[in-house]
Amino acid sequence: MNPVITGAGAVCALGRSSNEFYRRLLAGESSIRPFTPEERGSLQATHVARYDGFSPQPEIPAMKARRLDRGSQFAILACSQAVAEAGYDVSKSPESVGIALGTGSAGAGALTEFLRVLILESPEAAPPFHFPNTVANAPASQVSIELKLFGPNVTITQKDPSGLNAVLFSSLAISSGRARAMLAGAVDEWNAVYAMGFDQVGALRGAKRASGIVQGEGGFAVLLESEADARARNVRPLARLAGIGTAGVPTEPYRFAPDQRAIARAIRGALSAAGAEPRDVHLWLPSANGVVEMDEAEEAVTRELFGGAPTATIAVKAAIGEMAAAGGAQIVAACRAIADPDGPFPPDAQPRRALVNSFGAGGNFFSAVFESVA
Amino acid sequence: MTRGRRVVVTGLGAVTSIGTTVSEFWENLLEGVCGIRPLSLFDASAYRTQTAAEVLDIPDDFLSAADKRRMSRADRMGLAAAREALAQAGLDLSRDDPTRIGVILGGGTSGLLDSEEVYEKWLHGRPARPSRVLNHLPDAITDRVAQRFGLEGIKSTITTACSSAANAMGYAYDAIAGNLADAVVTGGSDVLARLTYGGFNSLRSVDPDPCRPFDRERRGLSIGEAAGILVFEEAEYARRRGATILGEFLGYGVTSDAFHMTAPDPSGAAGGRTIRAALEDAGVDPADVDYVNAHGTATPQNDSAETAALKSALGDRAREIPVSSIKSMIGHCLCASGAIEAIATVLTVREGRVPPTIHYENPDPACDLDYVPNEAREWPVRVALSNSFAFGGNSSVVVLGRYE
Repeated sequence: MNPVITGAGAVCALGRSSNEFYRRLLAGESSIRPFTPEERGSLQATHVARYDGFSPQPEIPAMKARRLDRGSQFAILACSQAVAEAGYDVSKSPESVGIALGTGSAGAGALTEFLRVLILESPEAAPPFHFPNTVANAPASQVSIELKLFGPNVTITQKDPSGLNAVLFSSLAISSGRARAMLAGAVDEWNAVYAMGFDQVGALRGAKRASGIVQGEGGFAVLLESEADARARNVRPLARLAGIGTAGVPTEPYRFAPDQRAIARAIRGALSAAGAEPRDVHLWLPSANGVVEMDEAEEAVTRELFGGAPTATIAVKAAIGEMAAAGGAQIVAACRAIADPDGPFPPDAQPRRALVNSFGAGGNFFSAVFESVA
Repeated sequence: MTRGRRVVVTGLGAVTSIGTTVSEFWENLLEGVCGIRPLSLFDASAYRTQTAAEVLDIPDDFLSAADKRRMSRADRMGLAAAREALAQAGLDLSRDDPTRIGVILGGGTSGLLDSEEVYEKWLHGRPARPSRVLNHLPDAITDRVAQRFGLEGIKSTITTACSSAANAMGYAYDAIAGNLADAVVTGGSDVLARLTYGGFNSLRSVDPDPCRPFDRERRGLSIGEAAGILVFEEAEYARRRGATILGEFLGYGVTSDAFHMTAPDPSGAAGGRTIRAALEDAGVDPADVDYVNAHGTATPQNDSAETAALKSALGDRAREIPVSSIKSMIGHCLCASGAIEAIATVLTVREGRVPPTIHYENPDPACDLDYVPNEAREWPVRVALSNSFAFGGNSSVVVLGRYE
């Protein structure tokens, strides 16, 4: 019943396709850079991972791009790549193809601009064309309009596990018959006003704080469908979603709960759903994002569960920064690694299994296991 | 499709402009009480319109003074509604496994009202207390509900604008049916803010007077705020622990219009697709539908498109059954609307009484169904639909019925 992934897309500073993103990730490149003085202003944060020089062309014509916010542009590109790689003809049955995206910031640009004019000038002066893009569901909806998807369409915001939530929602949509195929992923845009808020509440790493995140941005998507459908289309899947585990810890929405039992519960849940033991996992895509107590707890649980650590590690957030969409980036990286014949797996690993962890503030813990398809 | 695990409703909680408990809300709905009044939460004098369905007294006495300071208005309303719903459901964490109880809510404005004040100070170069932005993201309420009531299961916040709460209920349903949880606290809490008030005004979608769904002279929506919380449970789980079952969540449909960011497909084809998907999911024939709790925003476009959608999906049955919009009383509660309307729908099924569409005077040839004008009606209901349509063409329809 577990769906397979037949296509992936990525749009971020480290690559404008899932293959380029994955290759540069494996090569150890990072898009984290110091703020320019103008960007930094009064922030104590020192670094950021923005997608400098991003242009939606040539895929999105300039005229059309003008009415799309940055997050929607990322989403349209990433989702189009996933559909293209999967070779999926959406027009055959548009009502059976849907989308679920996670995000922590979608709409931020339109929201801050609309409010800026409303506050500094007047409510009547606030530009109406910005308002529809202030909603977090703008990117997923713009994708549905662009790709003509009539199936399920949702957007999920749940801290770091937003992207894994989107994958879980999608897998339920497929198993319950709501959709034959789902685009699942995550998108975030960097925004100066949001950065100021995150900085002032102590979330960002910088001159005054050794523990905290560096913010990134980008769009990431995979196409999920049933294995039977993929086979019927004669498409070889990149990977299978083998299982997802979740755990919650009751805590304030913005506090970190480095609760080792919850972390273990999320990972064990994913392993158990995958019918796998820790020794069957070879690649680890940790949640680690620079929040020291959380990273230490994850490391401790992983060492305990796996008797050391899985054979290989890909630290996605060290390369592209942290955001709700980073979970989407981890999923794309995991699937590319599993499908890559030279990927970071021991030669006898069969099937190849990767663990993706996505842990956030507010006591939110999701883990997922992806595996190769024979 | 049919599934092994059925999902029932065992608790309801409501905080609205016409009642801050479920029973007060329900009585006033049946009485046709209008909660749309002059807005007092912030200065509305510079906006095109000055009315809203505002909650005047949040029942949050159970929170400490420090909690109230820390929390957003949406948090306090959401917690009050969750407290009422959980008390009715009677889940007991000394016996019920907290890791099997999730929280999946629809979110939107969340702490935006506070963030707007901080942003205003920043824009004027003045310092602001940064802790006021801590509740900005819509997932704050979900975490707060889990924190307050000690729930350790799956957590998620759906942010699909005006269909958020409906989709949250759908995700909760799939999570329970898919055996990821035994119970889920679902619904949503959404409050007035300058962004949404100014936004709908900038689109010229707001009626300066209380809104008039389906009326020929309708001129737009009235913005409202509410928290609506429902406790969903796997049916056998609820029966084993002796819970009172209020109704069954039979299924839902969720689709994309893929049409336009703000305008509905006027032909009703998109809305019709969603209703058909919901009926198919629930295993219900159009002829079995006894009532529709309409999205009924009172914008000229929505109400005629929704009417066309109902006729296309339900055929002749659309003309035989009551269709009402409680937004005429509580306004459009945006990301919470699907939840508060589902609560009204559960109560309609349970009691066989249909709340009216008030302010209805002038029939519109493009809206030619029975909208239950101005007076509640006794009407036996076994199966009912509740529609939610949102910006981005995010459409969702839930099917609720008697548990039998």
